Amino acid sequence: MITVQNLYHSYNKDDRYAVKNVSFEVQKGEIFGFLGPSGAGKSTTQGILTGLLQLQQGEVSVAGYDVKRSSPEMFNKIGMSFEQSNVYSKLTAKENLQFYRKLFDVETREPKELLKLVGLEGKGDIQAGEFSKGMKHRLTFARSMLNNPELWFLDEPTTGLDPAIAAEIKDIIKRDNKKGVTVFLTTHNMFIAEELCDRVAFIIDGEIKLIDSPRNLKLQYGEKLVEVEYIENGKSVREKFSTVLDKDKKRLQDIIGNYEIQTMHTKEATLEEIFIKVTGRGLV
Amino acid sequence: MLKRIWAIFTRDVKVSMRTFISLYILVVPLILAFAINLFTPGINDTTINLALLEADNPEQIAYFKSFAKVELFKDVESVQKRVEARDNIVGILPEGDKHYIMIQGNEPEGVIDYAKLINSLNELDIQVEDTNAEIIEFGKTVPPLKRTLVNGVLLLISILGGMLIAFNIVEEKADRTIRSINVTPTTRNTFILGKSLLGLVLPIFGTIATVFICGFGDVNLLQILLIVSAASLLSLLVGFIQGLSSDDIISAVSIIKLLFLPLFASVLAIELLSAKWQKFFYWSPFYWAYKGNNAVLSQTSTWQQILSYTGIVIVLCGIVYLIAAPRIRKGLE
Repeated sequence: MITVQNLYHSYNKDDRYAVKNVSFEVQKGEIFGFLGPSGAGKSTTQGILTGLLQLQQGEVSVAGYDVKRSSPEMFNKIGMSFEQSNVYSKLTAKENLQFYRKLFDVETREPKELLKLVGLEGKGDIQAGEFSKGMKHRLTFARSMLNNPELWFLDEPTTGLDPAIAAEIKDIIKRDNKKGVTVFLTTHNMFIAEELCDRVAFIIDGEIKLIDSPRNLKLQYGEKLVEVEYIENGKSVREKFSTVLDKDKKRLQDIIGNYEIQTMHTKEATLEEIFIKVTGRGLV
Repeated sequence: MLKRIWAIFTRDVKVSMRTFISLYILVVPLILAFAINLFTPGINDTTINLALLEADNPEQIAYFKSFAKVELFKDVESVQKRVEARDNIVGILPEGDKHYIMIQGNEPEGVIDYAKLINSLNELDIQVEDTNAEIIEFGKTVPPLKRTLVNGVLLLISILGGMLIAFNIVEEKADRTIRSINVTPTTRNTFILGKSLLGLVLPIFGTIATVFICGFGDVNLLQILLIVSAASLLSLLVGFIQGLSSDDIISAVSIIKLLFLPLFASVLAIELLSAKWQKFFYWSPFYWAYKGNNAVLSQTSTWQQILSYTGIVIVLCGIVYLIAAPRIRKGLE
């Protein structure tokens, strides 16, 4: 669905590249996470993929279209939800969606249905300027679904949303992905990436450091240990056991069988820890 | 493409109707047209206003009515009160077999002389048919000052279109919606055309309204619309540039107001300066537009003349476009 080869981009058109030698592929039906801290090159890459930035160097194909020969038809197949909400404040929520649906050449979804989907039911006749930040964000998200996109670009889709709404948004993403929609997710939120993404790419200083599935990364970078906290002779005891060594496995079985277990955790690494391990940098 | 242009245009109209300053600009042409109608008769009419008594001889009233605008009052006090009003009106009141003239004192001498003359002609019973004068008519039926004002208003309206464009672009920038338009099949050219439409429709609507309200309904409308549309191109360009480079409506307006400078300079040059100075204003599209409108409003225009003026305006706007296009395109990225 997306092919990027040797992508370079410089805002000053010199050798200070915001993105350098970036290559990756996103398969149809995949949720691909593009992870990195601010200024890493996420938005630049996404901007080039969505035609918002001009392709300077490299080969980029999106939804079967060569981005170099920009074709308006490409936009009938893609949807884009921006990190910063951008809706017409003087139009109502319904008018916003009705306006944008007129700009597409393909069948579009009913504004009322979309507003209900993102929890804005009954707010359709209110001007977007009166909406809270979260409501505007949801309206921006709803707009990105108008044209039933085959490829969906999501930039921080749950930022600024309360946990309940964020969970609903994640459900919508999962549901549409099950229907075959490919998702390109840009975020620095490792939890949403871990929960949603089939594969993730770590980008820092304009370069991709690693691409793999969250599961593989955890297997590769996580420690194969279990930490157990149990009660022995009235005292709380904490111990770590290897999940690979036979001696530790037997001891763990013995503790589970004979003592009262208080807590037990596998010591698998979080995506954030893996990111720091791989790039040597945090995600903020 | 047309569907999208229409969608952008109707959105802009809807938003303009919800913004006070834009709504005001939309109705300004009508206000100006009514204002011209209200004030120009007093300035331009060669006839005078007379205040007479209702009880006066009907034949005499009819005589005065054929030379002046007559208002009738029931008594002398009412006539006096009317004469003392701010405009120029002369009272002619009976005294025995004759009439005397009542004035406020600040009327132009010509008005008083004219009233005296009509009164004398009436007393001498001289009718229009008694004249031996031969009349040669040049066919000019429109008061020159009214034509000048209407012409100026038409050019002013073309600038207002640019202001509306600037407002709508500023709004798009404030709401960050240009980016979201750019991820739809709407091309940059379609967006520019859609945004421009309001800047053209307002001058067209304003021109038609002004022309008809001010009593110029019998002029060649197509010719005048051609000229006004061409003159609007300059305002459209300035509107786009200012919309893209301004962060708020006030700063956009303040720059667009600079367009009034070449407009007024062009009008003053044509109306006040001699032929040798005219060439210094050839660079202004408003100069040619004003000339063209003048010809149409005085009904002396030919298609050849109008097409050549329009052509010059378009060429001048084209030069501005060549300079401005890179800035506009960059601003829309």
